[in-house]
Amino acid sequence: MMNETASPLQIVPNAEPVTSGRTQVAIRDLDFFYGKSRALKSVNLDVPANAVTAVIGPSGCGKSTLLRTINRIYEIYPDQRAEGEILIDGRNVLDRRYALSDVRRKVGMVFQKPTPFASSIRNNVAFALSYYEKLSKTEIADRVEDALRQAALWDEVKDKLNASALSLSGGQQQRLCIARTIAVRPEILLLDEATSALDPISTAKIEELIHELRERFTIVIVTHNMQQAARVSQRTAFFHLGELVEFDKTSRIFTNPAQDRTRDYITGRYG
Amino acid sequence: MSPFVTRRIVNGIAFAFATAATAFGLIWLVWILWTTVSFGMSALNLSLLTQMTPPPGTSGGLANALYGSAVMVLLAVVIGAPVGVAAGTYLAEHGRYSRLASVVSFLNDVLLSAPSIVIGLFVYELVVRPAGHFSGFAGALALAMILLPIVVRTTDEALRLVPDQMREAAFALGIPRWKITLQILYKAALTAIVTGVLLGIARISGETAPLLFTALNNQFWSADVSQPLANVPVVIFQYAMSPYDEWHALAWAGALILTAFVLGLNLVVRLIVRRGRK
Repeated sequence: MMNETASPLQIVPNAEPVTSGRTQVAIRDLDFFYGKSRALKSVNLDVPANAVTAVIGPSGCGKSTLLRTINRIYEIYPDQRAEGEILIDGRNVLDRRYALSDVRRKVGMVFQKPTPFASSIRNNVAFALSYYEKLSKTEIADRVEDALRQAALWDEVKDKLNASALSLSGGQQQRLCIARTIAVRPEILLLDEATSALDPISTAKIEELIHELRERFTIVIVTHNMQQAARVSQRTAFFHLGELVEFDKTSRIFTNPAQDRTRDYITGRYG
Repeated sequence: MSPFVTRRIVNGIAFAFATAATAFGLIWLVWILWTTVSFGMSALNLSLLTQMTPPPGTSGGLANALYGSAVMVLLAVVIGAPVGVAAGTYLAEHGRYSRLASVVSFLNDVLLSAPSIVIGLFVYELVVRPAGHFSGFAGALALAMILLPIVVRTTDEALRLVPDQMREAAFALGIPRWKITLQILYKAALTAIVTGVLLGIARISGETAPLLFTALNNQFWSADVSQPLANVPVVIFQYAMSPYDEWHALAWAGALILTAFVLGLNLVVRLIVRRGRK
């Protein structure tokens, strides 16, 4: 893995500016615990709206944990807990009074392995949709088409919407998972190593997709692939041992990081 | 002597022993099947399905017994399967981190290996004695209690086999737990759960001991589950022990039908599992 990133000079990082100027997710003094072990230590991070923020760092540094905290998916497991605040539009989503379905509708998440449900392509996309909104059949059909188009999958599946989602290729399944997530119109999209199980061509397609989706969504990606982080994101956060070491413009992190630890990591000295 | 020669000899002996052990096991199985088929085939005819179990010395069929068995097994599935699926769901989905669930799981294992005659006695005390007479319903209840732990265990295992990523992906969409369980997890685990129920049916359709204490038997046609109900296993038991040749033939015919049914059910299970893997 590290051989791919021999020198920072081989990476031409994304230098696009963040246009919105608005903070979508404000993380304040966030601590996270797996049982007694502390996986995140007082993390403070402002995720800009309508931009792609990449979270990088060696395995076990807490980057996936951070993502799993933003939509409270960790709550499935009773021994995990988060302390601190994650403010979205000024409201703390970690507050128990914040209804889970509201958090998760606002914050969509796509995982490492494609996880299509054992049902038709159409049902996969419509499943959550029909839970949140009372829609007529034609409205559902429109929203399904819309989501599949946004996920750049429509042309490949439009003639077989009733086919099983399991019959799609891995890359198509992952785009289906993205379609199913954006169908409910979230504001924030979390991608947890969403391309690490895919071949290079499928990965390229999803990166292209991330690039397009960024205009409508705030995207946070966790990735082990540093070229990917450099290519698709405008902001990069580097985590190490549960701490946020550095957070800056992607172009700066990959060319002239302020911290030695960041430099060591992106030059492949550890990870 | 080269170590390879020694190894080859040891390997040869071990292989011969393993083959012999397999053959020893298979011989009995084939022998049982052969005996059942050879005795049962000669007794097979259409009147088995149309006539009632006869009094001694006359010919007849197994219509009432087949019907009674079918009704009781069906009723046992209707009672046992939903409860079993629900309890298995509790163990796999809700009770993963709770002490109560591990206790329930352990007790379920105890029930799984409980002698069926004990379950028969229990239902006898619970239903038959207070009612004052044997009944098909009591028989179905006893069979349901044997089916129950099988379904609990297979449902539990089937749901645990659904990867956590699937749950997380569904939860991440904000869908409530009950909907995820009903519409996503059951769908993913359906093959395994159905397999468990079918294997449970195969198990209870041959049970005799619990029915002796509960449904007993009925010489005549009866569709009333509140009354003693004829059934194949008890008919086999009573007729095989009798001194009459006609009854012996019917017992063998019953044994053959029962064996064929269980065999067929196992084949169906294999087909489902194979199709599910694709």
